[in-house]
Amino acid sequence: MKSIRTAGGAGLLAALALALAACGSSSSGSSTGASASGVISTGGFQTPTKQSLTGGKRGGTLEVLDESEFEHLDPGIAYYSLDYEVVFATQRPLYSQKPNSTEPSPDMASGPPEITNGAKTVTVHMKEGIRFSPPVNREVTSEDVAYAIERGANPNVANPYFTSYFKSIEGAATAKGGPIKGIETPNKHTIVFHLDEPKGQLVADALVLPLSAAVPKEYTEKFDKSRPSDYANYQVATGPYMLENNAEGKVLGIGYVPGKSATLVRNPNWNPKTDFRPAYLNEIDIKVGGTKTVIGRQVLEGANVVENEEPVQSIVKLAAEHYKSQLEISPGAGSHYIAVDNKVGPFSNINLRKAFWAALDRTALDKARGGELVTNVATHFIYPTINGFEQAGGPAGLKVDYNEHPEGDVAVAEKYMKLAGYPSGKYTGGKTLQVVGSSNAPEKEDAEIVNQTLEKLGFTTKLTLVEQSTMYDKYCGVPKEEIDVCPSVAWIADFSDPQTVLDITFNGNDIVPIDNDNWSQTNVAKLNKAMAAAELATGKEAQANAWAKIDDELVEDAAAIPFDWDKQANIEGKDVDGVGDLWDSGEWDYSYTSLK
Amino acid sequence: MTEPLLRVEDLRVEFAGEDGVVYAVDGVSYEVHGGRTLGIVGESGSGKTVSSLTTLGLTRRQGARISGRIMFEGKDLVALSEDELRRIRGNDIAMVFQDPLSSLHPLYKVGRQLTEAVRAHREVSKAKARERAVELLDLVGIPDPARRVDEYPHEFSGGMRQRVMIAMALANEPRLLIADEPTTALDVTVQAQILALMERLQRELGMAIVIITHDLGVIAEMADDIAVMYAGRIVETASAARVFAAPEHPYTWGLLKSIPRLDGPREADLVPIPGTPPSLVHPPSGCHFHPRCPYVQPEHTRIDPALEPVADDPGHHVACLLESDVRRRLWQQLGAGRTPAQALAAVSPGAPA
Amino acid sequence: MIRYVIRRLLWGVALLIIVAALTFVLFRVLPTGNPAVLRAGKDPQPRLIKEIEAVLGLNKPLIVQFWDYLKEVFLHFNLGYSYYSSESVRSLIAERLPETLSLTIGAAVLWLVGGLSVGIVSALRRHSFLDRATMGTSLVLISAPEFWLGLIFLYLFSSDIGRFKIFPGAGSYVGITSDPWKWFTSLIMPWVVLAAGSAAVYARLMRGSLSETMREDYIRTARAKGLPERQVVRQGVRAAINPLFTLFGLEVGVLLGGTVLVETVFNIPGIGRLAYSAITSSDFPIIQGTVLLAALFIILANIVVDVVYAYLDPRVRYS
Repeated sequence: MKSIRTAGGAGLLAALALALAACGSSSSGSSTGASASGVISTGGFQTPTKQSLTGGKRGGTLEVLDESEFEHLDPGIAYYSLDYEVVFATQRPLYSQKPNSTEPSPDMASGPPEITNGAKTVTVHMKEGIRFSPPVNREVTSEDVAYAIERGANPNVANPYFTSYFKSIEGAATAKGGPIKGIETPNKHTIVFHLDEPKGQLVADALVLPLSAAVPKEYTEKFDKSRPSDYANYQVATGPYMLENNAEGKVLGIGYVPGKSATLVRNPNWNPKTDFRPAYLNEIDIKVGGTKTVIGRQVLEGANVVENEEPVQSIVKLAAEHYKSQLEISPGAGSHYIAVDNKVGPFSNINLRKAFWAALDRTALDKARGGELVTNVATHFIYPTINGFEQAGGPAGLKVDYNEHPEGDVAVAEKYMKLAGYPSGKYTGGKTLQVVGSSNAPEKEDAEIVNQTLEKLGFTTKLTLVEQSTMYDKYCGVPKEEIDVCPSVAWIADFSDPQTVLDITFNGNDIVPIDNDNWSQTNVAKLNKAMAAAELATGKEAQANAWAKIDDELVEDAAAIPFDWDKQANIEGKDVDGVGDLWDSGEWDYSYTSLK
Repeated sequence: MTEPLLRVEDLRVEFAGEDGVVYAVDGVSYEVHGGRTLGIVGESGSGKTVSSLTTLGLTRRQGARISGRIMFEGKDLVALSEDELRRIRGNDIAMVFQDPLSSLHPLYKVGRQLTEAVRAHREVSKAKARERAVELLDLVGIPDPARRVDEYPHEFSGGMRQRVMIAMALANEPRLLIADEPTTALDVTVQAQILALMERLQRELGMAIVIITHDLGVIAEMADDIAVMYAGRIVETASAARVFAAPEHPYTWGLLKSIPRLDGPREADLVPIPGTPPSLVHPPSGCHFHPRCPYVQPEHTRIDPALEPVADDPGHHVACLLESDVRRRLWQQLGAGRTPAQALAAVSPGAPA
Repeated sequence: MIRYVIRRLLWGVALLIIVAALTFVLFRVLPTGNPAVLRAGKDPQPRLIKEIEAVLGLNKPLIVQFWDYLKEVFLHFNLGYSYYSSESVRSLIAERLPETLSLTIGAAVLWLVGGLSVGIVSALRRHSFLDRATMGTSLVLISAPEFWLGLIFLYLFSSDIGRFKIFPGAGSYVGITSDPWKWFTSLIMPWVVLAAGSAAVYARLMRGSLSETMREDYIRTARAKGLPERQVVRQGVRAAINPLFTLFGLEVGVLLGGTVLVETVFNIPGIGRLAYSAITSSDFPIIQGTVLLAALFIILANIVVDVVYAYLDPRVRYS
């Protein structure tokens, strides 16, 4: 999904405050970059791959400070990473990832998915003894999982992932919230998906999404009738925690007060024997609002408190210097790249794209984003922690001359300019480039650097900086606008499948007229076919190889210019033994976090 | 002559101005007698208002430098403390100002403004003070005073407002009332009423009045004694009768001659005083009037004339360097209708040196 | 007077309808996020977007949407439901109104008392050291952005992250009914920050207004009556305060519509923050509700100011 929420509410005025907050945080990140062995370095700070998942102290209340509001707490709709902190503590999908891994483990499922019948059938067996929280209380059955997925097609719910990942289920394409022919529940603990196409691996992988978390039909139907669905305000839980509610099940105003707070309490019907989560904490109090510069300080100087969004740069620097044990760096927090219009305009010429790639100083772009502490120079598109990263070349990436020098290489740039038909090494065509970037810091700085690079290559540019969501909604996401360069686009995978990194973003068949995510408008028939085939790959190894090949092709095509593999920083108070989710940018997982 | 109620002795008032020191009052002396009206007449900028404001100490806040004495009932008002002066203001000496609309507080009822004048100096209950307020309004001739006492200044006409101001000034039966241009802002018909009112009150209460104005008609009506001011100095003082019959100062002559007369020939021109009032920052040397005086002599630019009594009337003082008999003869000429130039020529065929 | 007030109120209703119409058009026509698109997440098949638009009622013609909205608002006082939490806008606003009221009224009292007293003293002692010092400070306070000032206060005085741990930190606001003392102490810094700029403005205005007033003829008359100086000054203040009152009324009216920056820095869940987050997520019903509320406050403030002004200045009553 788009990695939308970065700079949040702080904006311009916080820059004034940064001057004050930055006392004592002058030196740049002192951590080391990617080490020679190819492992992405996290500077010696806590990191999700190296944390202990056991041995925490039971009890206590954790306070969480979030600047931004939740968007959708309904498991059938949630897709914003901040929503996940609540959804994944209260809802159990069929499969889940443990904090230190991107491999799915059976959660409500009792074993791995069985992909048979030429990848057209996916069978999942479920554990017994899992119950809904009050007021539903009864045992979870396969019908509840079926309903959970079926309601995703209901326009009152409108799950954003349904079409991408589940449309291959028989009958899903025309479903509107009613029963789907292709979802079969032969008994109370078995669910079988019958597919139109051999996309069993994709469907199985997608079962880590909260859409597969059981929802009790008889309780929820009435809420799903309102437009939009009201279930979020009355939701029940299957996880170790639940949103506090009253006897009728109402959450709104109690466990969830929009714009103010969310309160998670223990789910009395949760059976630890059916779950790998330890659930040390008794209660989680989430407070919404405020401003990140203040929140960061409150967390670093506090005891039982965490921030569950990425802190602002000044706070990250402060933590790296003075609160080292309270900082966690997680790789795999998505990537940033520069989309260039492959279809019309100067960058439809592949040599110009390569020249641009060569000319860019990717280290400068990363420095503007916080330096080695929270970035890595990107050399291809599949980013660390995603299946296929190593196969696609690891940290170094594909060996082509325009990719070799992250600081930029003038000679190579010139070479490609000449190949593009500009013997002077500078663009002499008449077109003015439309460059639209985000006005939030640090995207703003990146956009400036990109703009300067283009001007050095001889281009005339018209640089426009707008609010991030407007950039996507009105410019970069609208192919008709024919924006030549979008320097501020970012992507984060829905789960560890490389398809979720490359498909929507580079498949020509996925170009849509509005809210388009293939910003480069890459449409190479050969690649489209390869992607269609790779979708059908079964098994992690095959998947990795198939998509790594596509990644290589994209680099060879210079479809876009990747420059940053994000590492996300997360901070905790001094008495918190935080455990972060590797698959969720290292954000704190309440089912594993404990207090010292 | 009885002891004067108020005696101003060589009063000087200076202000620090942007261009230099302003000599607003440059050595002024006059007397006010109980039960009589002194009219101070002069052009704007002659210092007449400043000298009377200074009497009540109302120029102190503006950073004035004051010297001289103002004797009132044995006390020198110039030397009194602010507190002591306050006890005299609105009590023994009261003042009425020119523009009653701006001089009354727009946001307080008239009754309130009257009662506070009373209660500033007397220990009386609010109710009693209010009774007094109604009494006062009645005294100054405002109809239906019990209702009007609760109205605001803007609800009164110009003439009525001035009556209210007078009522306010009389609240504590002052012995001296200073009226600064009291009728200038009013219609002619209303003027007459106000002047009549003031005369009646003077008779009833036996108080002295100082009336300051540039309007000779008002002076003629009201004044028993007159002081003529020019450029910060008194140039002539005498009883009203004397000033109109036998004025001795060229400026006074100019003033009298510049009044249009109903009984004069229609084609006769007005005879204005040539020139403009002088700067008070850089006043003319010697006699302040000399630049505009038709009868000026060279030594008049160097010598400051002092106020001296006139030969046949010790109550009549004039500050002029011309010989007394020269002045008499000049006035005779002017009285016969000659122009100043003609008068001068007639009086000094041999040009006195 | 009653007829006058009624007439103004009717005009006020007409104005509210116009404001509602403008907001309606603005947010649907100008480049902001389309809420259906925002909800559609990452796979915006046109069919999905259309479905969501239908669910949210965005597919009907603008006029129909507006008419439906007006009917709901003026007949049933129903301001609609949030696109995200489905909570009724009316209850969202009602929940946050006490916070905004606490903040605004407390700050208003502070800046009125502070600003006026400083202004009066400065007017009476013009060009003194005290006068220059206060006028200089006021210039700084007027220029200081609220956000920045708030952060400075937090970094200096908040009990969790400040250098001198005196006042409760950001996010510690509670309603007056749950803990009156905590309510009060958590609002001290926000009040000061909110009041600072205004107090400074009022001080300067009062200084100017009173200086001018003290030169008026009726002040001279008051002195000539022999009134003690304190009473004379009071008469001056009484006249000088009128123009400030108009400003005060309007300012309170504006602030009641939301004080976003202070609410954000100190994490007070008021109407300003509600409006801001609604704008960033294109939650139209909330945006419309808060704009209407703000407009209502300003209209009411205007009416109140006019009515009270006629009481304060009797000369106005005749016009």
